[in-house]
Amino acid sequence: MNLKMTPKAVIFGGTFILAAIVFAVVYWPWAKRIQTPSDIHRSRTPAENAGRATYIANGCVYCHSQSVRYLDWGLGAERVAQAGDYVEDRPILLGSERTGPDLSQEGGEHPDDWHVAHFINPRFTRPHSIMPPLAFLGDKKISTLIAYVQGLGYKDADRRMERQRFWKEKAIEAYEAGPEANVKWLHGHVPEGWRKIPNPYPTTEAGLRRGRRIYQGFCIGCHGPVGDGMGPAQPHIYPPPLNFTILKGRGISGGILYYQIMNGITGTAMPYFKRELESEKIWDVGNYVAVYFIGETDANAEPRGIDASWEP
Amino acid sequence: MATTTNALPQIHRTARGFCITSAVWFVIGTLVGLTTAIEFIAPDLLGNISWLVLGRIRPVHTNIVIFGFVTAGLLSVSFYMVPSLLRTELYSEKLGMITVLLWNIAVAAAGITLAMGYTQGREYAELIWPLDLVVVLLFGLICFNLFMTVKQRKEPLLYVSVWYVLAAVILSAITYCIGNVIWVPGSGALAGMPDAIILWFYGHNVLGLLLTPLAVAVAYYVIPSASRTPLYSHTLSLVGFWSLLVMYSHIGTHHLLQTPAPTWLKVVSIVGSIGMIIPVMVVLINLWYTAKGKLGQIQADVGAKFVLAGSVIYLFTCIQGPAHSLPVVQRITHFSNWVVAHAHMGVLGFAGFIALGGMYYILPKITGKPIFSKSLAELQYWLVLIGMSGFMIGLTMSGLIQGHGWRSGETVYRLLPQLHHYNIFRGAMGVLIVSSALIFLYNIIRTIFFNPGGQASGVGKES
Repeated sequence: MNLKMTPKAVIFGGTFILAAIVFAVVYWPWAKRIQTPSDIHRSRTPAENAGRATYIANGCVYCHSQSVRYLDWGLGAERVAQAGDYVEDRPILLGSERTGPDLSQEGGEHPDDWHVAHFINPRFTRPHSIMPPLAFLGDKKISTLIAYVQGLGYKDADRRMERQRFWKEKAIEAYEAGPEANVKWLHGHVPEGWRKIPNPYPTTEAGLRRGRRIYQGFCIGCHGPVGDGMGPAQPHIYPPPLNFTILKGRGISGGILYYQIMNGITGTAMPYFKRELESEKIWDVGNYVAVYFIGETDANAEPRGIDASWEP
Repeated sequence: MATTTNALPQIHRTARGFCITSAVWFVIGTLVGLTTAIEFIAPDLLGNISWLVLGRIRPVHTNIVIFGFVTAGLLSVSFYMVPSLLRTELYSEKLGMITVLLWNIAVAAAGITLAMGYTQGREYAELIWPLDLVVVLLFGLICFNLFMTVKQRKEPLLYVSVWYVLAAVILSAITYCIGNVIWVPGSGALAGMPDAIILWFYGHNVLGLLLTPLAVAVAYYVIPSASRTPLYSHTLSLVGFWSLLVMYSHIGTHHLLQTPAPTWLKVVSIVGSIGMIIPVMVVLINLWYTAKGKLGQIQADVGAKFVLAGSVIYLFTCIQGPAHSLPVVQRITHFSNWVVAHAHMGVLGFAGFIALGGMYYILPKITGKPIFSKSLAELQYWLVLIGMSGFMIGLTMSGLIQGHGWRSGETVYRLLPQLHHYNIFRGAMGVLIVSSALIFLYNIIRTIFFNPGGQASGVGKES
């Protein structure tokens, strides 16, 4: 084969191939694009758009995807991404890495005050986080950024935000009524069955060690190293993180601790940990808090069923 | 022939200019990369310095290494190689020097604007519109200079390297305009899923139609030249060239397999990605058969050694690439550090190695003097080879932890402590890569400006 390669063959041949390809894989998908918004879609508010500009300017997209896949487990897995979710996004911010979590459904996951603490320094609320601190943005940009993040998930986010606001009001009311009323309110929202369950496992050295490790990785930012609610996030959060000491003698149980850690307290900065901590870790961290900070544990107390086979 | 050791030939100014450009930005680009690696380890170390925040300097790193270091390095070789292969001189060294100057201004402006937060937020297409125009103008200047050089050629036959260089510069100018949605100055984006499709069409072709053809062109020039053997097969050259244009340019959607992109487009991109094996293997067979039995000669020249290593890494990269495009593989690798490892192997390991090798190879020809220090060049070779390989292996492991962890229900947050040590390892490998860049810069500056050595084997003689 001795095909002659002239400059014309290279330039026009190459351009022709590229033109055909652009037509097929760029123009044609555009011409056939889906323009119908999805069922959860709504337009963004001016504040959300301003926050989105901040999100773009600071390169949040390099670590956070906004693209839930059918194989995902984490936040937003209940709602796999649809083309109609992105119809107004210019540019689209699907992301290519998950150094941080996917944010498609972040809206309403936490109340605004949690985000303030988290943006000022992510380790205030999430000790293992490697996200850069964003305090340099200043209050105004942080507040628009929060508006944007709280709108992620569109109408689903709006419903969650409504729930956050509703319970925040109740939580503040309870907090301001004093420790006695606050604890009563907190316990009152734990389903009765859970309230009566003692921690079914005995206190062990190993269990406390595990509990401490979980506490340091998940709880310390708000509740502080001695459990008095004076962690670094505290100044930014209202109602403030719970001082565990006030739980003593007020009807605390292993079941209540377990339920509150698993399910969180919507409206307050206390997130749910059911996605991140499995059963043993929740019992262990609950017992660590009970033993060290509350000074009162019901570990292995009656009523209990058949002891688990590993128990000493 | 120059008689004094410090007189540089008037010709090849453009090639020297791009060579220095590449060496300087190699240092800056990898230093910025190392900074990001440090921020992964210690996020509060440089906390609240707005222009050093991770999300801003990541695109500074990618844009500088792609355009400032690798592309400039490959252009340096191209500006020597194309006239030389056509038995003529560059059409205009003056225009070339203007291009070099403007190129540096553009790369610096890109770094500064991105660090200030002026970005279009589209991965690999971040630059704001005025800079997009400058980039297109630059590609235009390069096209013009090279086309005019082709026009005044004394050698009627076009060698395969020339095809690749011409195709790379003209097709990159076009894909740059399309991918940056240059007709929408404000956002530089389409709306919705078509924006992702056009973005990855472009993002993929930064490698496919810019770095790859330029690097392959340099390899096609250096390997036969260093082993003093004619190229193994003209037919394979043709197959490799045309199949690259057909296969590489349409498969960007394999970045979007897990998104709501059209299914037919995903199928096309997967099939094309597997088809990538053809242009890659054809080129490598052609190069390696040429080098067969001549490895001694290649090893003896540090430039050719870099180029050969780059060709081996090209094989690894392009075995990975088609494998990633399979949905079953991507379930684990997508969104993870595995992809970051792959990208570094492609840009630094393949195109970067060939750029470095090409520059070392032509350095005596464009300065009329031998390389200042061959042993420093050898040291640099091992530093960057170990640095790049270690980086790649560490991040691949880290990516597997992420991919398998997520797949079995761990959250991103829960896995962070497990990735910490790999991030430290990445930083350590980054130190080797930055050291290699510093040595390269020193060696280049000494070779060009302060070279005590004698004369190389004849500037301008070789063609």
